[in-house]
Amino acid sequence: MFSLRLPIPIENTLITPPPKSNNNNTYNSSLCAHSYSSYSHSQTNRFLTVRNVALQKNGNSVGDSKDTMMQPFPEELNAEPLPRHVAVIMDGNGRWAKMRNLMPSAGHQAGAEALKEMVRLCASWGIKVLTVFAFSTDNWVRPKVEVDFLMSLFEKTINSEIDVFIREGIRISVIGDASKLPSSLIRMIKYAEERTKENSRLQLIVAVSYSGKYDVVQACRSVAKKVKDGILDLEEINEGIIEQELETNCTEFPNPDLLIRTSGELRVSNFLLWQLAYTELYFDGALWPDFGKEEFVEALSSFQQRKRRFGGR
Amino acid sequence: MGNVGLQLLWYFLHILLSIWHSILAIRCFIESCFITCGVLEKYKSLNIAKLRYLAIVIESEDAHQTSKVVKLLQWLDSIGVKNVCLYDMNGVLKKSKEAIFGKLKNAKPIEEVNEAVTLHVPEHMTLEFVSYADGKEAMVKAANFIFVENLKRQNFGGEIDGQVISEPLLNEALKVVGCKGPEPDLLLVYGPVRSHLGFPAWRIRYTEIVHMGSLNFLRYGSLIKAIYDFTKVHQNYGT
Repeated sequence: MFSLRLPIPIENTLITPPPKSNNNNTYNSSLCAHSYSSYSHSQTNRFLTVRNVALQKNGNSVGDSKDTMMQPFPEELNAEPLPRHVAVIMDGNGRWAKMRNLMPSAGHQAGAEALKEMVRLCASWGIKVLTVFAFSTDNWVRPKVEVDFLMSLFEKTINSEIDVFIREGIRISVIGDASKLPSSLIRMIKYAEERTKENSRLQLIVAVSYSGKYDVVQACRSVAKKVKDGILDLEEINEGIIEQELETNCTEFPNPDLLIRTSGELRVSNFLLWQLAYTELYFDGALWPDFGKEEFVEALSSFQQRKRRFGGR
Repeated sequence: MGNVGLQLLWYFLHILLSIWHSILAIRCFIESCFITCGVLEKYKSLNIAKLRYLAIVIESEDAHQTSKVVKLLQWLDSIGVKNVCLYDMNGVLKKSKEAIFGKLKNAKPIEEVNEAVTLHVPEHMTLEFVSYADGKEAMVKAANFIFVENLKRQNFGGEIDGQVISEPLLNEALKVVGCKGPEPDLLLVYGPVRSHLGFPAWRIRYTEIVHMGSLNFLRYGSLIKAIYDFTKVHQNYGT
């Protein structure tokens, strides 16, 4: 969905983005739920400089060479406001595979490629934090074959991308209950976090074995320990104290400005419950492997057109 | 000349898309009117049993429009939705409680309902009024309650065992501090922003969230459609 803004500069019109292979079912599932126009007709001229053109094929790393990391800033968007922190519930891998008579593993592989593209876009466009919901505590009940494949996929993907993250200034953090993860994955996570901890261009937070409620519970436990150790008094406990103990305390911007959920489902499924109080919720009908640049631009465009008052006037 | 042509083409494409999306918006409006008039058969019978608890988030500015809130509640009552939680961030609806109950014939506050709210015989509406204070602040109170209770039990050592804190314990503690409402199945957001504006986070794990637009554009047809779409949803709960 484009947002109509006139006049529109034509500097970028000759640059064709790479064709998307499967992108026939994108729709904004909240379109009919609201009756006001989602378009702005700004007369502001936007002359955005084309930084670079990245022609990425599926299956490549986030940045095969230094130049391919950058994606040109889309002309449909304003430079401000952009969300500092984008959260994504990557839903729809299984359905994507089923529609193509493929095994669920193929869907998860395709989902991993979509995630790489998302990381590339966020890093290119100045988004500071990207949090993705890779695996929920509820997902442990899935067939063991699928769970084992996912754990293996996480490990392989981190391993294959770590050099790129280091080169491109991307910091990786993993949140969630690590107690059930395979030890090899835990080691890989610790290694990746350590190697990239100084990077500041983009922070990629991957939620694995994560539960929003459990996040609050563990925060309360941490606070209780601080009281027990004499670091805190009971009277000092407030919202801020609990927020500091949530797993998102690994980032400077713990609360997402924009949450995107793919596949058309309209719920947050126990993801970042505490942190989503003022988050713009964007539900897209595309399945996660099909969520690409166009869909992301649409989500950002929708974000830019909302009046977010945070409870004030 | 070439550039001017391209520019015109670009404008033309954007106008086409704008028209397309306007058509979609008009279609939604017409569909809403048809639903209101009872023209569309499938919306005539709703499987309301699936919607055990409904939450409504209203932007605090719009929440002053008590008549519109009452109209919405009357529609819900007529549809058969009896258990409703009303939320606005600044507590405007809480202050309008008396006025709202005054205009609804058979509504009771949740505090007066003893049995589990979702199980009561649907002769009357049950209304719960919440604000931001019932969200994060309530969670802090619940956590503090657990800490203090734990401290009392550890009489001699005076130590707090943090590990005792669990989800079920927090659920119970929330009831003690006055937050007894269940997790809503569906949450309708009336306001310009697609955000739940701080609705108690603990309660919306699996809640379907639908943005309805501003309360100024309240439409019966849109309400029916949102509820109907909810009744068709299938949740996997992670499986």
